[in-house]
Amino acid sequence: MKRRSFLRNGALASLSLPFVQNGFSMQAIAKKLFDVPKSAEDKVLILIRMNGGNDGLNMIFPRDQYAELLVQRANILVPESQILPLTAEVGLHPKMTGMQTMFNEGKLSVIQNVGYPEPNRSHFRSMDIWTTGALDINQTSGWLGRYFDSAYPNFPDAYPNLDFPDPFAISMGSEVSSTCQGLMGNFSHAVSDPFNSSNLLLTSVTNDGTYYGGQIEYISTLINQTNEYGQQISSAASAGNSLSNLYDPQNSLAVQLKYIAQMISGGLQTKVYILNVNGFDTHDSQVDQNNLQEGVHADLLKRISDAVRAFQHDLQLLGLEQRVAGLTFSEFGRQIASNGSMGTDHGDAAPIILFGSCISNGIIGPNPQIPNQVNNQAGLPMQIDFRDVYASLLKDWFEVDPNTIQSLFEQNINYYDLLQGCTNAIDEAAPDTLAALVYPNPSLGQHQLKFYAQSEYYQVYLVDQSGKILRKVLDQHLKQGQQILAFEIQHLAPGMYHYLIRSNEIQKLVSFQKL
Amino acid sequence: MTPYTGSWTASEAAHLLRRCTFGATYTDIQNAVNLGLSQTLNQLFIAAPIDEPLAYDPAEQIVNLGETWVNAVYPQDQTANIQTEGARMKSLAAWLAKNLNQESLSLTEKMQFFWQNHFGVTTSGDARAMYYFLQLLRQHALGNIKQLVKDVTIDPCMLLFLNGSTNTVFSPNENYGRELLELFTVGKGAQLAAGDYGTFTEQDVAAAAKIFTGYIVQGVRSATLPQVTSQFMAPLHDNTSKTLSYHFANQTIMAAGALEYANYIDVVFNQPDTAKYICRKLYRYFVNHDITAWVEQNIITDMALTFTANNFEVAPVLQELLSSAHFYDISVRGAIIRSPLETLCAMLNTSNTVANFDLQTTYQIYLSMYGLADQMGQGYATPPSVAGWTPYYQAPAFYRLWINSTYIKKRFDVASLLTSNFYNVNGNVFKIKVVDLLNGLSAPASAPQVIDDLCLLLFPKDVPATDKLLLKNILTNGLPDFEWTLQYNEYLADPTNPVFFNPVELRMQAVLNVMFKMPQFHVC
Repeated sequence: MKRRSFLRNGALASLSLPFVQNGFSMQAIAKKLFDVPKSAEDKVLILIRMNGGNDGLNMIFPRDQYAELLVQRANILVPESQILPLTAEVGLHPKMTGMQTMFNEGKLSVIQNVGYPEPNRSHFRSMDIWTTGALDINQTSGWLGRYFDSAYPNFPDAYPNLDFPDPFAISMGSEVSSTCQGLMGNFSHAVSDPFNSSNLLLTSVTNDGTYYGGQIEYISTLINQTNEYGQQISSAASAGNSLSNLYDPQNSLAVQLKYIAQMISGGLQTKVYILNVNGFDTHDSQVDQNNLQEGVHADLLKRISDAVRAFQHDLQLLGLEQRVAGLTFSEFGRQIASNGSMGTDHGDAAPIILFGSCISNGIIGPNPQIPNQVNNQAGLPMQIDFRDVYASLLKDWFEVDPNTIQSLFEQNINYYDLLQGCTNAIDEAAPDTLAALVYPNPSLGQHQLKFYAQSEYYQVYLVDQSGKILRKVLDQHLKQGQQILAFEIQHLAPGMYHYLIRSNEIQKLVSFQKL
Repeated sequence: MTPYTGSWTASEAAHLLRRCTFGATYTDIQNAVNLGLSQTLNQLFIAAPIDEPLAYDPAEQIVNLGETWVNAVYPQDQTANIQTEGARMKSLAAWLAKNLNQESLSLTEKMQFFWQNHFGVTTSGDARAMYYFLQLLRQHALGNIKQLVKDVTIDPCMLLFLNGSTNTVFSPNENYGRELLELFTVGKGAQLAAGDYGTFTEQDVAAAAKIFTGYIVQGVRSATLPQVTSQFMAPLHDNTSKTLSYHFANQTIMAAGALEYANYIDVVFNQPDTAKYICRKLYRYFVNHDITAWVEQNIITDMALTFTANNFEVAPVLQELLSSAHFYDISVRGAIIRSPLETLCAMLNTSNTVANFDLQTTYQIYLSMYGLADQMGQGYATPPSVAGWTPYYQAPAFYRLWINSTYIKKRFDVASLLTSNFYNVNGNVFKIKVVDLLNGLSAPASAPQVIDDLCLLLFPKDVPATDKLLLKNILTNGLPDFEWTLQYNEYLADPTNPVFFNPVELRMQAVLNVMFKMPQFHVC
């Protein structure tokens, strides 16, 4: 899949404007369209930690190098025919059918070969690097903690308050996340079960009938009552909804993601949710000896793929897709060559999976290069710095000012286009009269233009990248409501185009790419 | 009192040290196990010397920074005088926090604070007077309490605090006389009639006021006098004989000038209620808030007998109590909710974390420690009233009064702060030395053992295995145990390398951050 690109602040300048047609200024429209949307405040980011060092080569396969993979890791390599194709060059582990579906729906990105310079293969040190978002050994705040500190400087003293009644981040489980460590406190709030407003970090406080039991019961009750966020969270979870039937109740990640869907749909304003999946430290028996696409690692991948797919499906049904995006990360990938125990040892770079309906691209970055000779202990070299991925998320998703972002990171940031797919999108749950969407985008043969109309006379034009009107595709009075117009575009040359939607009241521009 | 004869394990040793100090280390507990109960107790009764507070704040205008101000005059100029007092009170507060944090394995700090709570004195407007008052408490902390009460009675700080310095034959002031009886000695019994409090009457209050007349205080923030002193002024003393109530067998206190107060206090200590009243407070401080009929009959009575038989030396009472079967009874383990000072110190002292920077930074950190405890409800030098802090006496809630919605949040905030790397004073980071703590445990490379040891160190009773598993997963960051072992051994092989040190530190910080927020940590 080619790189998609959407009209947006920076991108606008590169277009060959002026955009003046028929007496109205396209720049004026553009300004209205491209102002920083308020919706950044509603954006939610999901982080899924694959704890232990994920074997990226057993998750995302360079299909064009299967022969080399056989040289390196024949004893654990999934049969070629079983690999799920994403593109001609890239494939998924056979257990990840859910994520294959998402990819085909344009809701899943793979960011290849993500790591950092001078890799450290200690779980602990490397995870610290990933959670602080810095190579500096003295950096002890988390990358999200620094962002939150920049945005909410008086935390935790001034919070929660009327404007910010909810935790900024929620870490599912009993430990707050190091990614959210700020200067004066951790911005994440540990939640095991959002329906239980108890904020007790651990589970079992039982009054054994002694003075001791009475005292700890009393303290537990007080902790409960004074848990500032507990009530907000449980109210939101109770008010929220979950519509998908795809969640597997046996899948712990799915259960937690369902909780998150309920919290988001219930109105919780939390911006970041962090989940953790243990077990990726697959030094031995990561595959089933008799069935190489099965085994411990396959189960973990299936768990994540199924859970994320169910979650995405739920968001779609809840009309929340455009508010939520997520990614997986792990402290490192594993070595290219497998070991003699049908496992893999600590390595270096690995792919990140990015998901959500607002992704910009399918595959980001080229396949890793697998050598055809075994070089002991070799890992995959880093091509994309994870800190740039984080920085790009902050830019695309939370619309943080680039100067601020640069101040949060030690490296000179290279931005990647990650989550710009919803810039002109329609929030189907809440009709936005200024939003319009082309689906699918990029598109090949045909696509739909969706927008929300008032009861008015409308004209829709097809416009090329230079601003020239190619033709009028609609000219009629519309009834109020969601419009879905289907167009054949086979005859268009590949490139960027726009639909210009105008009525007496409004003018909208929505862009798409013809493949 | 039945002595304890059961097994002497880390559990009992930890219990004793938790109750007698502001926070022992894992090594201290192991040493106590090896020493045995009796020798450990002997060690606890060795008084601990301390240094004098030093000037560190630039607002001090008489002595040089780094020198003590406890015998120094104040500036003549009124503004400078007030500024200097501010600087000295900050130094005094920091010094108090420092003493608690840097205590040796002794009952001294714990008992000094007991008497501070007992007399409930707040500052008299002169930091030197407050310092010497606290020194008086320290001097007698494990000593003769009758003598302590006598000395406190004519201490300048107390004379200022409860109006003794204006109590004269011409205008008697009952304040000290009343509190001496009601709060410091016989205590208030059940009210029997108007003006009859079961243990004393209004007649006794009036008599006491007269007995105590005649003391004046000199030198408060003086530009010429290096100390605040009290002085008996015969013309101001009431030279009549004073007759006490029937509670005191209608005894008469003969006029005796400067000796009269001491004679009277001898009489008050002869009242059996005095020994019982003080012993009940000691029991609540060291054992449990609930004085049942059984405890009254079997424990308090024995304590009071020992106290009286030893002419009001407190050490034998504590010796007997702390080696009694009752003290180690499982029913009273973990019965006390840690006070703010105990909570703060338990976070620091269990890892032997002290502030050891340049003078100003060290004092600033300790002043801030003082402030943190104050925000949690316990400012050492400012008890809320002459009765002391309510959790030590207010039935029926007692210690539970330490915990409310504001205080619990503050406790959690303090836990977060001290287990982070962000408590920065003058460019120096003050944080719990979690890796030192780890290294002092029995098997730091073993994740399950680390958690077991930490639970022993921080919790009064063992916690369920499920909780330990969760804690262990935090330590190992969710990885198999052997990964922790590898990481720890890598650190051991190159202990100053931050690449190995920092991850170990971060994991320990994460574990302690959670443990400090568990209800079990807040009891002892």
